[in-house]
Amino acid sequence: MKKSYIIGAAIILLAMIMAMYSFKSTLTPYVTVREAKAGKRPVQVAGIPVKGTERYDMTSNNLVFTLREDGGDEMVVEYDGPRPGNFDDVTKVVAIGTYEPKKNIFAARELLVKCPTKYEGRVKGE
Amino acid sequence: MNNFGEVTMGLGLIAIGISSICYLVLCLKTDNVLARNVARLSFLGFATLVTIASILLMHFILNHQFLYSYVARYSSRDLSLAYLVSSFWAGQEGSFLLWVLLGAWLGIFLIFKAGDREPQVLLIYNLNNIFLMILLIKQSPFRMLPMPPPDGQGLNMLLQDPWMVIHPPVVFLGYAAFTIPFAYAMCGLWRREYDGWIKPALPWTVFSFITLGAGIIIGGYWSYKVLGWGGYWGWDPVENASLLPWLAGMALMHGMILQQTQKKLRKTNFVLAAISFLLVIYCTFLTRSGILADFSVHSFVDLGITGWLLIFMFAFIGISLALLIARAKQIPVSKKGQSMSYFSREFGLIAAIILLCLSTLFTGLGTSAPLITRVLEKASKVSTEFYVNVNLPLAILMLLLLSLVPLLAWGKNRFSTLRPKLIWAFLGAIVSGTVTLLNGYPDMPPPLLSLGVFILSLLAGAVVGMNLFLVIKLIRKRITIASGAIAHLGVGLMFLGIVSSSAYDGSAKVRLPQGTAVTTLGGYEIKLTGLASSKDGRGMRLHFPLDVRKGGDQFIAQPDIYTERRRDGNMQRFTHPHIQRGLITDFYISPVDFDPGEEKGSGRDIVMQKAKKLQFHDYELAFTGFDVSKMMGKEGTHDMTVGARIEVSYKGAEPVTIKPIITMGQLHSPSSRVKLPGPEEAYLTLVKIDAGAKTIGLVYEGPESNEEETSANSPPSVVAEVSIKPGMTVLWLGTLLILVGGGVAVSRRWQK
Repeated sequence: MKKSYIIGAAIILLAMIMAMYSFKSTLTPYVTVREAKAGKRPVQVAGIPVKGTERYDMTSNNLVFTLREDGGDEMVVEYDGPRPGNFDDVTKVVAIGTYEPKKNIFAARELLVKCPTKYEGRVKGE
Repeated sequence: MNNFGEVTMGLGLIAIGISSICYLVLCLKTDNVLARNVARLSFLGFATLVTIASILLMHFILNHQFLYSYVARYSSRDLSLAYLVSSFWAGQEGSFLLWVLLGAWLGIFLIFKAGDREPQVLLIYNLNNIFLMILLIKQSPFRMLPMPPPDGQGLNMLLQDPWMVIHPPVVFLGYAAFTIPFAYAMCGLWRREYDGWIKPALPWTVFSFITLGAGIIIGGYWSYKVLGWGGYWGWDPVENASLLPWLAGMALMHGMILQQTQKKLRKTNFVLAAISFLLVIYCTFLTRSGILADFSVHSFVDLGITGWLLIFMFAFIGISLALLIARAKQIPVSKKGQSMSYFSREFGLIAAIILLCLSTLFTGLGTSAPLITRVLEKASKVSTEFYVNVNLPLAILMLLLLSLVPLLAWGKNRFSTLRPKLIWAFLGAIVSGTVTLLNGYPDMPPPLLSLGVFILSLLAGAVVGMNLFLVIKLIRKRITIASGAIAHLGVGLMFLGIVSSSAYDGSAKVRLPQGTAVTTLGGYEIKLTGLASSKDGRGMRLHFPLDVRKGGDQFIAQPDIYTERRRDGNMQRFTHPHIQRGLITDFYISPVDFDPGEEKGSGRDIVMQKAKKLQFHDYELAFTGFDVSKMMGKEGTHDMTVGARIEVSYKGAEPVTIKPIITMGQLHSPSSRVKLPGPEEAYLTLVKIDAGAKTIGLVYEGPESNEEETSANSPPSVVAEVSIKPGMTVLWLGTLLILVGGGVAVSRRWQK
């Protein structure tokens, strides 16, 4: 019985360590545009979409827009997913994804959209 | 103060307060008849008052009393009856009221069922209702506006779905029900009945498990059907908020079964009952306090109740801990020396409970990541891979248990007697594995994930094989004893559906020009046959009838994009996917964007999109926006006049802004045409506007260009996301069986 407790505890401990490792590696911190462009890991960047920059890329059919953060830094975001229903009037958008230096775009796999009024909606990428 | 609703709520709080005090008296002096009667009567009074308050709010909604802020924020005059009813629980305050209401009604049943445990059980149960009432008084659904607006803001389009009408009541019934096993557990500790509480509490546990489970499943189904992202589960905090208590409740349910039959896990069950209830409060705190506002796609507005929620949570943690610590030494441990066989039902159940607890812990850790990381460094959330990574190994082990343990009896088992029956598990695994490999080894990087998914499909098949055999065998004897096997068969089917819909799905974005068939994934041939728009409520619905063919099959898909202008002036757009259901595969098509096309000046009709420049004969045109200054209704008529601003440059000259106008509901008259700059006798007339797509239609009158038009027109097109989702039918069937199994178990245990 004693031995089985030790084995059980060891398995649970192993599961915990693996979970903590996965936890650390999948964390997507909030960063600035400058930091997003410097790093490779998935991050979240908050800002507002610049009016008039929104378009659909003719080849990839992805939503493309320029995101401007509080400080004024900008980056081009490409999002492979359905266009958020309230995208026209967002006060804040959070793009989650990774920066691709080759294409000079931020490839977002998720967009969180905040509106001036309460709105419980959801947009989800891959 | 003449707010009847708020007075009712205040009286309700007083009633439940009196009831609680009397129950406290009864806990100390059990034979006080007066206290008992007052306690029951005031509970009944509380239930009545809450019911009156709810009827009142419903009455205000149905009669468009926009003087009430809640009514103005969540309903409007144009809503149909069903959606007016569901406006009741569209917002935070109303959904708290719904929670209290369902809790009050459940409480009446509880008084009848509780027997001599009534004082302690109802005291704990009341505490939760007191807290909810305080929240509702702090954040009242009856708050009034200084001036009633002419119409409300209306219900979010996404929530205008039949499933969303019933989803919240089911979830909150589950939330309310989870208080009951907790109340029984605390009662058990108080009265030192360490085994006696299990029997009356078990049906309530199963009841909370199936109601919350049904709520989760309806939510997933709604998300699949309405939201248009082709998924049913996104590990969003709001989804996890109902999953966490559900997982803990599942662990509790299995622990209680083990205690009832084997007198094991006494302490564990007290802890599990406390945790599953505390998780309800914790998750309410997470999703309602605004603490995750930057991390969830749902927007959580802090209504100023965060502090209260924290107080409640710590109060309940305090109560549970105090009672547990006070009794910890007295709780008997299962007999020593009686060593447990690894090859027994009890070992399997304990392993299952550990797995469920780990899954709750890890999923909870992920959901709380923004809170945890806020303390350490920058607040961050975990990506959805985290949830998959941690839960996949647990799911594999869980399915391994489910394909073996249901065969085992309590105590020692001999492998040789079980061997012939194990064939069913192997058969299931072989069938599932063959089907999986025929469709190709799972392609989900990294390799470890693919391997995990493959093992999952093998084991899910084994679970289905084994439990299908058991269901058939047991149902012949008596359906009530087959409850576990039915639910476990459902788990197996659900995982088969999860594997096939997430590892063998395909999705592609296609641009569908009008009139041209496009072949896309799965060999489907899609043609946009025409475009139509219709007025719907306060917005416009743009229909995309699609002719879809594959082999000999043909069907018409009808996805649409709905655009509406909200009362606050903001435009909102909702895409409405089309799902062609099949027994094996669902075909899912969701419109992403509409492109009205460009006509490069070959005809008299011109369609212009905002901010896009257009070369037309000798002119360069740019539609810069609508002219709001001309947007007014003529007195005495319903006609609305709208103008458009167009920058025109003749042969590269300085651009001039012209402002053609259109009067809605009238045919355009020659008098509304505007002369273009330059020497030519050329005019533009505004004939059509589409504020949603930001396009305008113009008619050009003037000399035709002599130049040969070289560029072809681009027809209108729609960008759509096309997905194939195999196994969805199996998935929904599996979830349904889990609920059916639970329902059978509840009816059996309540009959006893």
